[in-house]
Amino acid sequence: MATNNTNQPLTPAVFHILLALSSGERHGYGIMKQVETDSHGKVTMGPGTLYGSLKRMLDAGLVRESDKRIDPEMDDERRIYYQITGIGTEALASELERYKRIVSLAQERQLYPKTYGIQP
Amino acid sequence: MAYNHKVILLLYNKILALYPQAFREQLGESMEQTFKDLYNEKLRTKKELFHFILSTFLETTIGIVSEHLLLIFKGAIMQGMLGSLGSSASISFLFIAPLIVLEIVNRRQFNEAFPFMLFTVLWLNLFAISLILLPIMQARRTASTTSPQTNTLLTKPSSTLFASIALFLFPLIFILLDSMGWISLNRFFNGPNPEQPYLFGQILSLALISIPIGAGIIAGRPIIHTLRAGGSLFAHPAHLVIVFVILFLFTMSVAGLIADQWSCFMGVQFCD
Repeated sequence: MATNNTNQPLTPAVFHILLALSSGERHGYGIMKQVETDSHGKVTMGPGTLYGSLKRMLDAGLVRESDKRIDPEMDDERRIYYQITGIGTEALASELERYKRIVSLAQERQLYPKTYGIQP
Repeated sequence: MAYNHKVILLLYNKILALYPQAFREQLGESMEQTFKDLYNEKLRTKKELFHFILSTFLETTIGIVSEHLLLIFKGAIMQGMLGSLGSSASISFLFIAPLIVLEIVNRRQFNEAFPFMLFTVLWLNLFAISLILLPIMQARRTASTTSPQTNTLLTKPSSTLFASIALFLFPLIFILLDSMGWISLNRFFNGPNPEQPYLFGQILSLALISIPIGAGIIAGRPIIHTLRAGGSLFAHPAHLVIVFVILFLFTMSVAGLIADQWSCFMGVQFCD
């Protein structure tokens, strides 16, 4: 049952999982690796955190189970894949919009140290 | 360090079995596969294998505890318990109210202090009885009208049986140690000076009375679960026996106190 309000701020774990799934379906291990890559190794999550968040996301309709298939880049074991849903995409877009507004505000208030080198 | 891979994977699988049933059914297989993938990666890179095993087992254990807590706090279990807390408190008070009236009316001429401790103990015993009994009676009334709930550690017959027996027997350890002269329960409850009120002893007494209440509530969970699903009251006979024994002990305590104080309630002077 989809119960998530897409305007609600997301937890960091949920945000990173949605971000990882935004570029395509992934299995659990694939999500972990993508989160690590996306965050330049700053965010790592164990199976407990990943699947705890996935359970909540499945219940809220942000993601859904895709199918069970072999990952050609790994061994010949069949893995369950997860994919982002329409609600999940909307929630991610809302969160990114929130981030964008915060970045704009920070720029407006000149809160960026010059070393960040971020252009408006 | 050499690791037995099969044992580690089997151990992880056993840990996953501790997740709530619904979680395990939905994500257990995928979780096991992910652990296998992570483990194989660590084997390939030969990097921090011990640290990985330890941290993953710990992190998964925390996840299991959180999932159970989430079920308890969000689910009907806590709502039901909170509801029965209020009802039990009121019902117990209603039971002792006539005795309070008798005490006030019949003993006003003796110029004595109101026996708060007696009524607190009476109320606590009745509270314990209704806290254990009320949810079972409600479950019987609402049988099959509620949706089936997920099986958690608090409704699993085996874990609840073990937990309730362990809790019920726990105070016996202290009684045994006291009888062997290793500790002095009298000193624990009454303090160094029995004439003075001893706060620690009162807190300890409350904690001790809450242990059998907890045992009774835990033993009653699978019974309630089964009754709500339309099952029989006798589906878990061992649990029912524990609930019955605990209820019997509390009832005897109430009956004993009332019998002992009856002459006082009736207004007899020097009744103690």
